Amino acid sequence: MEKGEIFGYLGPNGAGKTTTLRVLLGLLSPTSGSATVLDADLVKDDATRNRVGVLMENNGLYDQLTARENLVYYARLYEVIRPADRVTELLEFVGLTGREKDLVGNFSTGMKRKLGIARALLHRPEILFLDEPTSGLDPEAQHMVRELILRLSQAESMTVFLNSHNLDEVQRTCSRVAILHQGRIRALDSVRHLTSAGRKTGFSVTLADPGQAGKAMDILSSLEGIDEVARNENVLGIMLVSVPPHEIVAALVGNGIRVEEARIQKRSLEEIYLDVMRQAEGGVA
Amino acid sequence: MSRITVVAEKEVRQLFKSRNVMLSALIFVVVFGIFTIPAALGGMGEAGNAMDTLGFYLVLTLGIFMGYLFTAQVFLREKQSGVIETLLCTPLSLRELWSGKVAGVTIPATLLTYFSAALITGTATIFTGETLLPSLPVLFHIIIVVPAFIAATSGLIGFTQFMLGMRENQILNFGIIFGIIFLITFVRELAGPGFSVTWGVVAATGGLALLIILATTWLTRFLSRERIMVTLPE
Repeated sequence: MEKGEIFGYLGPNGAGKTTTLRVLLGLLSPTSGSATVLDADLVKDDATRNRVGVLMENNGLYDQLTARENLVYYARLYEVIRPADRVTELLEFVGLTGREKDLVGNFSTGMKRKLGIARALLHRPEILFLDEPTSGLDPEAQHMVRELILRLSQAESMTVFLNSHNLDEVQRTCSRVAILHQGRIRALDSVRHLTSAGRKTGFSVTLADPGQAGKAMDILSSLEGIDEVARNENVLGIMLVSVPPHEIVAALVGNGIRVEEARIQKRSLEEIYLDVMRQAEGGVA
Repeated sequence: MSRITVVAEKEVRQLFKSRNVMLSALIFVVVFGIFTIPAALGGMGEAGNAMDTLGFYLVLTLGIFMGYLFTAQVFLREKQSGVIETLLCTPLSLRELWSGKVAGVTIPATLLTYFSAALITGTATIFTGETLLPSLPVLFHIIIVVPAFIAATSGLIGFTQFMLGMRENQILNFGIIFGIIFLITFVRELAGPGFSVTWGVVAATGGLALLIILATTWLTRFLSRERIMVTLPE
């Protein structure tokens, strides 16, 4: 992983996402090979744990203690300098100022997750491991958590390892993803490359005059580098192999076709994910 | 401040905030400290000697029970709730974690045991109509040896709670606690009817506590993060 990158680790339930996380964190031993984080094997190296932040599905909080007591406890375990100040700063960062004296047992799921994030950031880790951080949260809280993750990566150059099966969340926040299936990585690439730079590019052209559709189909059929053309009323769906989209538009306009709209169709991460899953289950990948 | 102190302080704070647990402990202390005294004193002959015997056995037994009660809260609950996983990701070593928790159990259990000793003395005094104070060896036993025994037993129980799964824990914890009580009773029987609490008996009890502490401290080297993780409930 690159410094400051948000890395998405995608997979269905039971694929081994949390197990991978536990192996990386030195909580479980790998059945073969080794796992290192920040060039250290966390099984043997307790000191490196000071540079790693973790938010597991359980937030690691005590219901009988207040928000502040929880954070101060962890701050002292990490030997944070001036723990009280750091706790105040983080409570503000996650929007829980004013609730610091409330028992965590009385918090909502979203508030607990916010506090869990604050806890994970107490010691200013270089890398942050998040296990399903938006699981069980309402849409507003999910948005807030995503914003927090992006802020951490952009403003503090923090590297984030995001375990998730929420494809939308991964597409919105991650720069690179690995897709896991039954304990094996089936795809590993940048989100940008996966969604837009496949072997074929989907391209749609909307015509101003549906009556020109037949002529437009003939023009496209005569061009090289096009794999497939389909028509739906005045919209032409084109699968490009080697011809750039602007040449298609130029060819149509040059032959008197009135083009109302042209759009490159990116594949969503969901489509890619489902493809990978299908291939993996069919034994292709 | 060492991490052991940090953990111990948190455990004490959390225990005192757990109303149900503290209430159970107080009821236990009051029931045993008040209601068993009249019957116990009635069957133990000379009051001073009977008071010493009570101070030796009853206070020790109450202390061990307090430790047992709090150990489940301090060691087992974190495994049940899953919070332990986050703790295992901190730089806290397992020995620091274990030691801090043992201290966190021992402090409140000792305070409640002292309270029970005071209650026993007060009840016995009211019941017999004469001021009954424990002898010097028994006083030393209550103040020093009982807390050591609480630390020893809670350390051992806490260690097994870390090592074993939930079902095994339920079975074994009962075994441990009743095993210790059986051992105390067995030693009492071995000593015979003329038995009195001497410095030698107190030293032997303290030695046993020390032995258990040392043995369990040595055993903690076999504790691993993975061991704790694989014994977490699903």
